[in-house]
Amino acid sequence: MDAATGLGLTLVVDDDASMRRRLVNLVEAIGGSGTTCVAGSVADAQGKAQTTPSLRTALVDLGLPDGHGIELIAWLGDFHPHVTCVVISAWGDERSVLGALRAGAVGYLLKERDDDELRLALLSMARGGAPIDPFVARGILALLPKLNDTPVSKTTPTSGSEHGGISRRETEILGLVAQGHSNRDIAGMTGLSRLTIESYTKSIYRKLAVGSRTAAVFEARARGILD
Amino acid sequence: MKRWPAIVLLGIAALLLCACARHAGESSTTVRTLDRADAVRSNWDAATPPESGWTPVALPDTWTRRWAAHDGVVWYRLQWFQADDAVPVGLLLDYVCLADAVYLNGSLIHRDPQLVEPLTRSWIKPQFFLLDRPLLRRGQNELLVRVSGLAAYQPGFGRVRVGDPAEVRARYETHVRWQYDSELFSGASGIVLGGIFGMFWLFRRKDAVYGWYALSAWLFAAYGSNYVTRSPWPFASTDGWQAFVAVLYVAAAFSFAVFLLRYCEKRWPWTERVLGLLCAVFFVYALLWPASAGPHRAVMILMGGGLYYVAIVAFIVRAVRVRRMDQRILAACLLIPLLTSSHDFLVFFGIANDSAYLLALTSPLTMIGLGSVLAHRFYVAMRRVEHFNVELHQEVEQATRRLSETLAREHQLAIANTRASERLNLVRDVHDGFGGSLLGTIVALENSPATSETTAIVGRLKELRDDLRLIIDTTAQERDTDLAGLLASLRHRWSHRFEVAGVESRWQLAGAERLHLGAARSLDLLRFLQEALTNVLKHAQASNVSVVVRRDCDDLIVEVIDDGVGFDSRVSGEGLGLASLQARADRLAARFDLRACPGEGTAISLTASVFATTGATEDRSLLVDRTTGA
Repeated sequence: MDAATGLGLTLVVDDDASMRRRLVNLVEAIGGSGTTCVAGSVADAQGKAQTTPSLRTALVDLGLPDGHGIELIAWLGDFHPHVTCVVISAWGDERSVLGALRAGAVGYLLKERDDDELRLALLSMARGGAPIDPFVARGILALLPKLNDTPVSKTTPTSGSEHGGISRRETEILGLVAQGHSNRDIAGMTGLSRLTIESYTKSIYRKLAVGSRTAAVFEARARGILD
Repeated sequence: MKRWPAIVLLGIAALLLCACARHAGESSTTVRTLDRADAVRSNWDAATPPESGWTPVALPDTWTRRWAAHDGVVWYRLQWFQADDAVPVGLLLDYVCLADAVYLNGSLIHRDPQLVEPLTRSWIKPQFFLLDRPLLRRGQNELLVRVSGLAAYQPGFGRVRVGDPAEVRARYETHVRWQYDSELFSGASGIVLGGIFGMFWLFRRKDAVYGWYALSAWLFAAYGSNYVTRSPWPFASTDGWQAFVAVLYVAAAFSFAVFLLRYCEKRWPWTERVLGLLCAVFFVYALLWPASAGPHRAVMILMGGGLYYVAIVAFIVRAVRVRRMDQRILAACLLIPLLTSSHDFLVFFGIANDSAYLLALTSPLTMIGLGSVLAHRFYVAMRRVEHFNVELHQEVEQATRRLSETLAREHQLAIANTRASERLNLVRDVHDGFGGSLLGTIVALENSPATSETTAIVGRLKELRDDLRLIIDTTAQERDTDLAGLLASLRHRWSHRFEVAGVESRWQLAGAERLHLGAARSLDLLRFLQEALTNVLKHAQASNVSVVVRRDCDDLIVEVIDDGVGFDSRVSGEGLGLASLQARADRLAARFDLRACPGEGTAISLTASVFATTGATEDRSLLVDRTTGA
């Protein structure tokens, strides 16, 4: 997606029609009508992705009838890397959100939230940012020592980076999010703009996915999230 | 311990008494001592003494002084005048070495079984004869003693006593008692004591001190058989027997030295090895070359004796230095053989003119002393074991108690875990089914044409959703999530909501880290806070809201202050959820304060103890009962 031009053509993948309609409404309220297409299953989504080269964003539900959203996200990451994946998470499925982020998603929407809040999250994504919640921040912080051990992070010694390529600043922001501070608070505390904070979040998500995509799918399968 | 010196003193006193008794009947008028004789040597098989070559000798006689290398027979001829032949006469030969045949006036009155090798060992006992007519004559009587001996083993002939049979017999019996019986007794007691301590060792190999003592006692007893055995069997010659006995002596000395070392809890591997090897070499030498080893037994006896002396003297010196009672008593016991054996050595080498060895008299005493010391040592060890048993018993009891406590604790933990996971399952079921439908309903209602009724229902459903969220947060979180972690989610969610609603929210959380209220109280606290925040969002029309959660010693204080429209707290309160806030505060056993004025905003606060008050346990049903009861 272009940082300036919103979400672009967006594929909404959900097997629940009402949720699909809700999301389509939200996305079209931001990007205008005709900027969405929908799919109800993994196969359907893969077909749409193949036939729609102008696709920029995919909102992916996790529990699909013919497969798991994490696999679809990983597949999109492999074959359509220019598509930005956002995971749609149901109730109390925080573990899956983290797994999806590691599989390559750079954002998530929680079904339980109000439309206003989801709209805010989509707007943030349209601006090039990514929303984050304390539980996600805590999950990533807990993952950091493990990421540090992956060979990818060792072979790419970025200056100022500590854990798996995630910089000290990013770690600091994760810590503040984990404590429950809102992005606005964090902006105030760090002297950065909200937009910068949001792009930090997105950068964290991207780094999280590097090298751990396959591992994430494998792990999710092992822990019984998939299948 | 005090009894020990007394026992030792008693023993010494008894010994002295015996020694006095032994020398009592020396002078007598009815018994004549013959200490003059004529001697002549001959070859092994001579049946009669040679005619010529008689020499006068003084008795006791050791013929090697005259005929240094003479192995064979020496005839001793003695004469005495018998005034009266009407009464029998007692005859006592003090000492004959080695085998003898006795003739009185030409007639044979005694002959040892073996007059040629292997020679009978007659020297171990004096010989007594009762002489009567017709062999005994009135007037001059001639006693001819044919002695078969070997130059290497002090061959010779002792004094002869003639006189009143009763007195001579008494003298004979005294001799036998002190010379022969004492050796027999000493040997027997050695074997018995060695046997007892050998058993100790057998059942407890670790205590080598008992084993070495037993070995030395047995070896010494075996060596002592030299003084009580008449025949050199199973050896074919006197050489063989003597060599073997000498080696037994060395071996006894060696094992005794090791015993003393072990008693001091010491180990000298190299010295012990060398000495042990020496013993083995001597054994081989004695068994293979008896003809050479026998005559050279003095070397071995000296070596064994030297070893005994060195070991005992060193031990005594050490015992004096170390100042340990048991070692001193042992040292005192060892002093006795040290003294008596020096006497015996002189006898053995023919320097002292005595036919009796004293060591045999004292050795039972020494052995009993040694045995007592060892037994005491055993007693000390047993006492230690008993103490240890008591301690062990206590420790086992303690360990058992600790273990049962641990088990009980683990059991509790397991129950708590099971309960938690059951709760988790329940919550999962709730949010999978009920939660999903709830969300679906909200979406459906929002998509339908908005009426005031649906808006109210949607609002109500959203409250239910938020409450469900809190239940999931407090229940499905890891067990160790602290209050700060729980508040973080709430804070994040509500910051966003206020932001969307255009309300400036300010949060101040302090002291909630590592604070665990338990799932039930946490949920109540979060519900209270969430309801207060909902009120602000729904009713206050505020532009600023301040949320404070802080810990003040044992109190947890929650404040929600807004600058909204406020209300008259005296008038209205119904419908603003205040009753519900009060109910939640009651469940937390907390103080609930409300300050509100129309146009001046609302401030509510909750002060709760961080510790669950009496009765307010984890058990949710109890809490529910309390609330419904209240």
